[in-house]
Amino acid sequence: MKAWFGLCGLMLAANICAAEGQSKLDWLKTVAVAGHQTDYSGVFVYQYGNHVETSKITHVVETDSEYEKLESLDGPKLEIIRHHGQVWCYSNHKMVLVDSQSGQGSFPKSLPDQLATLNDNYLVKEAGLERVAGYNTRVVLFQARDNLRYTHKIWVHTESGLLLKSAVLNDKNQVVEQYAFTELKFGNGGDRSWITAGAALTAKAVPNKSVKSANSGWVVDALPPGFKKTMEVLRPMHGRHAPVTQMVFSDGMSAISVFIEPSDSDEDDNEGLSNRGAVNLYHKVVDTRLYNVVGEVPPKTIMQILDSVRFNGK
Amino acid sequence: MMKHEISALMDGEVFEDEAGVLFDQLIRDPKAHRDWDMYHLIGDVLRQPEYIHRDIGGSVSIALQSEPTVLAPRRLKQKARVYALSAAASVMAFGVVAWMSLQISPEHAQQLQAENIRPVNMQIQPKSNDYLMAHQEFSPSNEMNGGVSYIRTVTFSPEEKSQ
Repeated sequence: MKAWFGLCGLMLAANICAAEGQSKLDWLKTVAVAGHQTDYSGVFVYQYGNHVETSKITHVVETDSEYEKLESLDGPKLEIIRHHGQVWCYSNHKMVLVDSQSGQGSFPKSLPDQLATLNDNYLVKEAGLERVAGYNTRVVLFQARDNLRYTHKIWVHTESGLLLKSAVLNDKNQVVEQYAFTELKFGNGGDRSWITAGAALTAKAVPNKSVKSANSGWVVDALPPGFKKTMEVLRPMHGRHAPVTQMVFSDGMSAISVFIEPSDSDEDDNEGLSNRGAVNLYHKVVDTRLYNVVGEVPPKTIMQILDSVRFNGK
Repeated sequence: MMKHEISALMDGEVFEDEAGVLFDQLIRDPKAHRDWDMYHLIGDVLRQPEYIHRDIGGSVSIALQSEPTVLAPRRLKQKARVYALSAAASVMAFGVVAWMSLQISPEHAQQLQAENIRPVNMQIQPKSNDYLMAHQEFSPSNEMNGGVSYIRTVTFSPEEKSQ
C-alpha cells in the first residue's frame, strides 16, 4: 500500500513537472501569435562580433494579411517588405521580388509540433524580469541540451508578448549575435503609403508555382540528434540556372537548410565555412554538385550534415 | 605613454580595444610601468594608509623568488600565501584585466571557434544572400522573432560598409 502511495506521489510529481513545462510552452505560443498579430514600429540594433547595425521595423496587421517593412538606418539603403508570403527587396532603385513562399506559411499549424521538439532539445527556463526599450520584459532561456546547437535567450514584453530582445549564445556562454529594440511604439500610426504600395506589388506578382514539394532522393546519413526533416522543395533560385533542391531540418528553435544543385563549370569552388552572426554557411563542390548548408547552428553541426549528404534515389 | 592615459586605464575609462593597445605599451615601456606602479601605490595609500607597499612589482618578484617551489598545493604555507596575494593584487589586476579583455573580444572568440574546426572563418559573401533568404523563410526563428530575423539576410558586411 505504501509503495502504491509512493508511486502515486511520483506520478503526480512527474505530472506537475510536465504541466509546468507545458505551461511555459503554451506561453511561447503567445509569443509567436503576438509577433503576427500586433501593430508596432520601432528601431532595433543588431550586433555580432564587432559589427553593429541599426534598422527600423514596421509591422501592420490589416484585414487581409500582415504587412512588414524592414529598413536599414545605416550603411547602404536596404529595404524589405514582406506581405502575403512574398518578400520584396529594394535594389537598384526598384522593388524586386526575391522570395515567394508558395505554401502560404507554416504558421500556426506547425507550432505544436515545433514546441514539442523544442522541449526535447532545449531546457526552457525563466530567467527573471528585465527592462528593454522602456518596457518590462520576462526573460526566457532556451538552454541547449548539447553543443550541437546554440543557447537562445529571449526578452518578451510582459503585456503584449512581443519579443523585444534576443541573444544567441555558444557553449562557452559567449554572445554569438543579439538584437534588441531601442525604441518601440505600439499601434499603426505614421506613414501608410508603403502598405498600399506593398499590396499593389503583391497583387501584380505572379504566384510562384515553381517551388514544388519534392522527394529528390538525397539523404543526410549523420543527421545530428534532435533534428527532424521538416520539408523538401525543388525551387528556382536567383542567379542559378538549374532548380535547387532544398531540404530543411529543425530542432524546434533553429533550422538547417541543405541546398543541392548541379555545379557550374566556372563555380567558385572555394570550399569553406563563413558566418554572419549565428548563421553559418558551409559551401562545397563535390564531383558535379554544389552543396550549401546554412543554419543558425554551430559550424560543426552544419559540417557534419554536409559531409554525410548522400544520394539514395534512382 | 601619457600619464593621463595610465590614469584613465586604471579608472576603467578606456574602451576595450584602446585598453588593449595601452596595455601593450605598458608592458614594453619601463617608465610607464613605474608610473603604473606609482599610481597604484597612491591609490593604495588613499584607500589603506596603514599598509603601504613600495616597488610593488619588485617586492612581489622577491617574495615569489624566496618562496620554495611547492608542487603539492595543499602544503603551501597559508601565511606566506596571504602576503603574496595581497602584494600581488595590484599587479595581478593588470593581468586579470588584460586576460578579461582577451576573453570577451569577439574576434578572439571567433578565432578560437575557427581554430577548433577550420583555419578559415570568414563573413558570408553577399552572393550567398539568396541561400540565406531561402533558408530564413522556413526557419522556426521566424515564428518566434518575426521579421526581425530577416535582418540576417539583408545585413551588409563591414567591407561593403566602408565602400
